[in-house]
Amino acid sequence: MTTVFAAEPMPLEEKIAKFHELFETKINRNFCLSNGACVHCGLCIESCHYYMATKDPKTTPVYKTDAIRRIYKSRHDWLSRVVPFWTGAARVRTREDLDRLRDIAWGSCTMCRRCTINCPMGIDTALLIRSLRAILYAIGEAPEGVVQVCKDQYEIGNQMGVSDEDYIETIEWLSEEHATDVGDPRAKILLDKKGANVMYVVNPREVKYAPLTLLAAAKIMYAAGEDWTMPRSGWDNTNFGLFAGDDKLGAKMGRALYEKAQQLGVKKVVVSECGHGFRATRWEAPNWAKMDLGFPIESFLETMAAYVRDGRIRLNPACNGVAVTYHDPCNLGRSSGLTEEPRYVLQHCVTNFVEMYPNRADNWCCSGGGGAMSMSEYTGRRLEAAKIKADQLRETGAQIVVTACHNCIDALGDLIKRYKLGMKTATVGELVAKALVLPERPEAAVPVQKPLEKAPGVPVKVLVADDDADTRVFLSAICEDNGAVAVTARNGNEALELARSEKPDIITLDIDMPGKHGGEVYECLKKEDALKNIPVCIVTGQPKLRGLIYDLEVPHPEGYVDKPITEETILLNLRLILNLRQ
Amino acid sequence: MATQTLGGKEMEVDEDGFIQKPEEWDQGVAQDLAKTEGVQDMSDNHWKLVHYLRDYYLKFGMAPMIRKLCKETGFSLKEIYEMYPSGPAKGACKVAGLPKPTGCV
Repeated sequence: MTTVFAAEPMPLEEKIAKFHELFETKINRNFCLSNGACVHCGLCIESCHYYMATKDPKTTPVYKTDAIRRIYKSRHDWLSRVVPFWTGAARVRTREDLDRLRDIAWGSCTMCRRCTINCPMGIDTALLIRSLRAILYAIGEAPEGVVQVCKDQYEIGNQMGVSDEDYIETIEWLSEEHATDVGDPRAKILLDKKGANVMYVVNPREVKYAPLTLLAAAKIMYAAGEDWTMPRSGWDNTNFGLFAGDDKLGAKMGRALYEKAQQLGVKKVVVSECGHGFRATRWEAPNWAKMDLGFPIESFLETMAAYVRDGRIRLNPACNGVAVTYHDPCNLGRSSGLTEEPRYVLQHCVTNFVEMYPNRADNWCCSGGGGAMSMSEYTGRRLEAAKIKADQLRETGAQIVVTACHNCIDALGDLIKRYKLGMKTATVGELVAKALVLPERPEAAVPVQKPLEKAPGVPVKVLVADDDADTRVFLSAICEDNGAVAVTARNGNEALELARSEKPDIITLDIDMPGKHGGEVYECLKKEDALKNIPVCIVTGQPKLRGLIYDLEVPHPEGYVDKPITEETILLNLRLILNLRQ
Repeated sequence: MATQTLGGKEMEVDEDGFIQKPEEWDQGVAQDLAKTEGVQDMSDNHWKLVHYLRDYYLKFGMAPMIRKLCKETGFSLKEIYEMYPSGPAKGACKVAGLPKPTGCV
């Protein structure tokens, strides 16, 4: 919250001239189509939550966009040029005209695009509104809240004016909280780790006020054994360039993030649960920044769904026993197609999921979209328009409404209070974190460089059980290079025989093998008195099979490594397991 | 701009219920604001948090980072959310008479 931006006061005439000048710069194919194709059929009317709450014709999408259409027609429609009084074409002339446009652009539309999917002509109302906002913003006709946030993003680099020092201290503090949270002093949130698999970027709200969502994400990635990092700069995934119509700001925010990801050489960027942040970062900002990225960008919803699908995290749905419903954020559901991932994840971490109707791309806006949460002057109207959302929530009978957007969380929180719904809000990540069953993961330990020997000169005997010849050679070579002797088994039966005859000191065990699979071998090993004390390290290329081991009613294995394996990981695990045993 | 009776006096508040003149804040105002945030009784701990927020705001003109809040008051994140269910930004800051935080909040 730095000092409020004071726009150079511009005389009215100059403002209006500038308005028309800028209007012409907004004309592109979509803009023309959305202005020219409306047949006033009225199908958009009941798709707008402002209209549904007020039944005021002035709140319909067609009425709101007609205000823009009139200006467009006055120049670009031949009939309107000849008989403007007939088509209603008109230029902006007075202070009242500007006020009306200002009210439409900022106070009467959350750019949720529900009308667009209900429009037979495909008119993009949000695009028209964004273009209008862009012009108004440029001539100093934007709400103070929006101007302030844009200024902070321009000058400080994030929407809440968090200084570099505060950011880094906060992440270091959260890193300690994270270690306490998961009960592992080795667990860390690393800053600027080069070559990490994931660069995780957040909404500044998570850093400044509400870090529980960030801690939940850290816990999930810890459980999945993810190699992740947070950047020191370019960490704000939000982009008010989208709401203010400021492509220059949009490009600046995008570039800061993308260049950081390129500099760190990360494999992908993961955007935390933020609706407009994801849409801006994934879909819009590469165009504003005119950059070819060379790395994928995904929502944390997709990341979590993949962890569940691949068996990288284990969840106990009984931890979330109350009725839970899901609210599709406009920018994730309608505008990005992310409707199934959150449902898939929720089905695995709650026992009672109830659907909300309508849902997915047809869901009603939370009422706080398009930056509405930052414009206090319209809060009263926003909450009035939230009536249909409140009715929809009440209808579900759920106790928790889950959503994947910080803005929706706050907007839903406000309307729950206003309409006395008595519900709680949560992000998908928060429920996943609550349901997590944390694995024992020795592999994150500090490496120790001792030879694989029981005593000086007495080598450790390793039994390598794997049906893949390359893996057998690879693993036994690593063991032998480090002072151990290796015996190899090609299938489950052979592994058991060798375990009995060779009495190895440790076994590396594949799961997917012909004959007895790894789960059956493991169970036999742990149930046989002579063998049950031999430590086992599971080495598998199919994490989804881990249930074959961990669901057994025998003690968990001493180690677990995902393929593809590296020399470093396997040695680290073997040393750690053996040292623990000695 | 709406007005609301808080602590026995008429106060200007914005549409989100944040008071507009921080200098008119007092304990009575805080108690009434707390009720709008679902806090019926202000305990010593509630006051400790509110006083810290207010002192910080008067000194620096902005709300503190959650890290500073936890560190300086000794409360854990969990305890803060238990005291102010709407969280530090919309709950505790409002009771302490700070303006509405900017951005997606």
